[in-house]
Amino acid sequence: MTHDDSETTAGRTGHTADRMRTDGGSDGADRMRTDGGSDGVDQPRADGGGGFGVDRTGTRSALVQADATLYERIAAGLVGVSIVTFALGVTTLFQVTSVESTEVLGIGLYQLYGLALTVVGVGIVGLGVASNREWADTEPDAYVGVVPLAIVTVLWLATGSIVGSTVLGAGAVGGLLIGLTTGAVSFLIALRAGEDLGSTLPIGALVVVVGVTLLTGLIGPEWVWNPQEFVASFPSEAVVPVFAQGAGLLAAWSGAKAHAGFGTRGRQQGSFLLISMNAAAMIAVLAALIGFVIVRGAGPMLEGFQIGASGIEFPFVTNPSQGLGIQRGVYPAIVGTVWLVVGAVSFSVPLAVGAAVFLTEYAEQGTFTRGVEVATNGLWSTPSVVYGLFGLAFLVPRFNDTRSLLAGQLVLGFMLLPLCLITSREAIKSVPDEYRDASAALGVNKWQTIRSVVLPAAMPGIITGIILGVGRIAGETAPILLVASGPTFPSSAPNVLASFQFQASPPFVTNPELLEAGSALPYQLYAIITAGVGETQAFGWGTALVLLIVVLSFYTIGIVSRIYFRRKLNREQ
Amino acid sequence: MATRSELERRLADVSVGDDAAEIGLQVIGGLSLLTTLVLFLLNSSLTAVPLLITLAAVGYGWIRHQATTARALTFVATVSTVLILGLIAVFVFIESIPAAEVMSGTVFGITIPGLGMVTRLQEPLWQTTTGIYSLLPMVYGTAVTTVIAVAIAGPLGVAGALFISEIAPNWAREIVKPGVEILAGIPSIVYGFIGFVVVNQYTFDVLGTSYGSLFAVGLVIGLMSLPTVVTVAEDAIDSIPESMKSGSLAVGATDWQTMKSVTIPAAFSGIAAAVLLGVGRAIGETMAATVMLGHTQAIPEPVYDVFFNGETLTSVIASQYGNAVQGVHMSALYAAGVVLFITVAVISVASQLIEWRMKQNLEGET
Repeated sequence: MTHDDSETTAGRTGHTADRMRTDGGSDGADRMRTDGGSDGVDQPRADGGGGFGVDRTGTRSALVQADATLYERIAAGLVGVSIVTFALGVTTLFQVTSVESTEVLGIGLYQLYGLALTVVGVGIVGLGVASNREWADTEPDAYVGVVPLAIVTVLWLATGSIVGSTVLGAGAVGGLLIGLTTGAVSFLIALRAGEDLGSTLPIGALVVVVGVTLLTGLIGPEWVWNPQEFVASFPSEAVVPVFAQGAGLLAAWSGAKAHAGFGTRGRQQGSFLLISMNAAAMIAVLAALIGFVIVRGAGPMLEGFQIGASGIEFPFVTNPSQGLGIQRGVYPAIVGTVWLVVGAVSFSVPLAVGAAVFLTEYAEQGTFTRGVEVATNGLWSTPSVVYGLFGLAFLVPRFNDTRSLLAGQLVLGFMLLPLCLITSREAIKSVPDEYRDASAALGVNKWQTIRSVVLPAAMPGIITGIILGVGRIAGETAPILLVASGPTFPSSAPNVLASFQFQASPPFVTNPELLEAGSALPYQLYAIITAGVGETQAFGWGTALVLLIVVLSFYTIGIVSRIYFRRKLNREQ
Repeated sequence: MATRSELERRLADVSVGDDAAEIGLQVIGGLSLLTTLVLFLLNSSLTAVPLLITLAAVGYGWIRHQATTARALTFVATVSTVLILGLIAVFVFIESIPAAEVMSGTVFGITIPGLGMVTRLQEPLWQTTTGIYSLLPMVYGTAVTTVIAVAIAGPLGVAGALFISEIAPNWAREIVKPGVEILAGIPSIVYGFIGFVVVNQYTFDVLGTSYGSLFAVGLVIGLMSLPTVVTVAEDAIDSIPESMKSGSLAVGATDWQTMKSVTIPAAFSGIAAAVLLGVGRAIGETMAATVMLGHTQAIPEPVYDVFFNGETLTSVIASQYGNAVQGVHMSALYAAGVVLFITVAVISVASQLIEWRMKQNLEGET
C-alpha cells in the first residue's frame, strides 16, 4: 500500500497547494498556515531571488497584504475575469444562461463575453509588454516552452484559416495561406520575443480576436455554421460558449504566468491553475450529476410518502411496478437487487478471500501467482456485456433454459470476484510480517496464524473491498439484461426464502423462485427508458434516484470505513 | 489407516500432515469436485451428487484436518478464478462459430471463418433477414466513441491524478479523491439515462442531429472512464519514490519542474497503463451506448461524421439479444463479444506488462 508514502508527502504537497491557492488571487487569509519553516522565508520579491520556488511565499504574502504591486493586482484581476468568463461559458452551454434571457447592464450576453475577452486580451498583452520593457519586476526566461509554442502556432493557424476563408472571403486555399502566415508569424513572435512577450502577445491577440468577433456581432445570435460533411449544424448558442470557454482558459493560463512574473514560477502557476480548475470541474460535474437526479427524482420518489399514526407509508418503495389502481413503485426491483447482491456475495466472497489467502500466504511468488494476477486483471477489465453473453451461453442452458435470478447471481458473482480478490490481496499483503512472525513464534501452524492473526488484521480492508464491489455490481445492467431479466413492469416480487423445497432425488434442493426471471433496479430503469417518454420518465427519475441512493450508500460506507481504518492503522504504527 | 490415537496426536501436532488419511481425503474431494464440474458442463441432473460428496469431504476435513483442508480450499478458489476466465473465453468463442462459418472470407484461396465479418465492405453490412453479419459498423462505432472518450478522459484524468497526488492540499484531496470514486460508482445506466435525456436532447435541439449520436455517446463514456484513468494514474504517480522528487527539489527546481521532469517521466509507463485501462473501460461500456444510440448498423458517409447515429460492439449485443431468435443472428452477437473480449484482454495484459516493467525499473532506481 502506498498510503504510508502519501502521508509523508502530505505536508509538502499540502504546502505547495496552499501557496498555489493564494495565487488565484482569491483569499489568502490562512496562507502561511502550513508553511512549516522549510521554505516559508518571508522575503520580499524584489530581492531577485532567482528562478526557484523557495522564496515565492514572501511574494504571495505581498499579494494579499497591502503592498501588492499594481502589476500583480492587474494580473490577478485579469485571471479572475477569465475564470468568470469560462464559468459563464459553461452555464451558457448548459442553457442556464442564454442570449435571450441574460442581459447585464443592458448588454447582451454575447457582447458581454466579447467585452470581457477584449479587455482581458488587451490586458494580457499589456502585461507582457510591461514585463518586456521592465516596467514591472519579472523574471522571464529567454524562450517560451515547447508546449505554449505549439499551442500558439496551431491556434493561430486555425484562426487565420477560418477568418481568412469566411470573413475575408479568400476561399479555402486563400484561407489556408492566410492561416499559414498568421501561424508562422505567431510562431516567430513566440519564439523570438522572449518568454514574457512570447507567452502573452499571441494569446492575448487571439483572445482579442475572439472578443471583437463577439463584440461586433460578427457571430451573433442568428449565426449558424452549417458544414456539409456532418449531419449536425452548429448555431451560435453552441459555438459561442465553447469559444468563450477556450479563450477564457487561454487567458487565465497566460495571466497566471504573468502574475507570477513568468519564468519557472510563472509556468508553475499557469499549470497549477489549469490543473486545479480541472479538479474543481470534476467535482462540479459530480455535484451536477447527483443534483440533477435528485431534483428530477425526488418528486416521483416521495409521492405519497408520509409518516402517520399507522406508520411510514412509502408507496414508491413498497408498491409493485404494475397493478390495478395503485401508485407505481419499485418494490420488485428492490427485492430483485437484494437477492442478486446476496447471491453474488455469498458465491464470490469466499472464493475471493480464499484465493487471496492462497496467493499471499501459501503460494510461492513466481510464474503461478503472476499468471493468476494476469487472469484476475483480465476478469476485472472484461466488459460486463461479455459476462452477460457468457452467462447466456453457460448458465442459462443449465438452469431450465430460462433467464433466472440464480444465473444473475452467479454472473454478478463472477464480476465481483476480481474486485474482491484484488482488494483482499492488497489487504492481506499490508498486514505486517511481524504479526505473522509473532504468531509463528508461539508454535502454531500456518493456518492458525492465518485464521487468528492475518485474516482479522486484514478484515477491515477485505470488508471495504466487498462493500465497494457490491456498490459496483448493484448498478450493473448489461449482465442482468441478458441472463436474469423478466417482465419489464413486474406486478409482484420474488419470495425466495419461502420457496426452498427439499426432495430425495437429485438435485435435492430446489427453489423455483430463484429459477424465475426477476427484476432489478438498474434493469427496471432500462425498461423504463426503452419503454418510451412522457409520464414514465418521472417514474424513471424516481427509480434512478433509488438506484443512486442504494449504490452510493455502499460507496459512502466503503470509503468512510476505509478512511477510518487507515487513520487507525496510521495511529497504531 | 491411522489409528484414532495417532490422529489425535497429529491433530495436536498440527503440522501439515502427509499421512494417508489426508491424502485420501484430498483425492476424494478433488475428484468429486472435478466430477461436479464435468457433470455441470454436461448439463446433467446428477450434478448435485458429486457436489454433496465434495461438501461432505470438505466438512469432514474441516473438522479433522483443518490446516490441510483450508490450504486445499484456498487452492481451489485460486484455480477457479483462472478457470472462470477460461470458461468465459471458451464459451463465448464456441457460440460465435456458426456466424463465423456463415461470414467466412477467402484469402489466397484459403477460406478463413469469420474473416468476412471484418472485411465485407459492400452494403448492407448487417441484415438479419438475409443473414449478413459484418461487424465493421460496430467496430467503427466503438472506435469513434472510444477515441472521443479517451480524448476527454486521458488528459483530464492524468491532470486529475497529478492534482490528487502532487498538488492538492489535504482538504482538497479529501474532497476530490472520494469524489472521483463516487463518480466511478454512479451506475452506467444512470449515466445513460442522463445522456439520453440531457445530451441527446441537446444535440437534437441545438445541433440538429438525430436523437442520439456517436459523438454524444463518446462524451458520456469519456466522463465514465475518467475515474479509471485518475485512480490508476494516481497509483502510478504515488509509487514514485519520494527520494527522486526530493533530489530534484533540492537542486532548486520548482514543484512543477519536478513533476514535469522527474515525476511524470518516471511514472510515464504507469500513466500509459492508466490511459490504456481507460481505453478498455470505454470499449466495454455498454448501457450508455445502448440507451443513447439509435442503432443504425452502417458506416456513415463521410467516415469522419461523428454525429452519425450508429452502433457499437456492446450496444448491438444489448439491443438485439432479445429478438435474436435465429441461431446465426445470436451467434453473430457472440462474435461481437469475442472481438470485445480479445481487444480488452490484450489491453489488460499490455497495461499489466507496462506496470511490471515500471515496478522493476523503480526497484532498480532505489
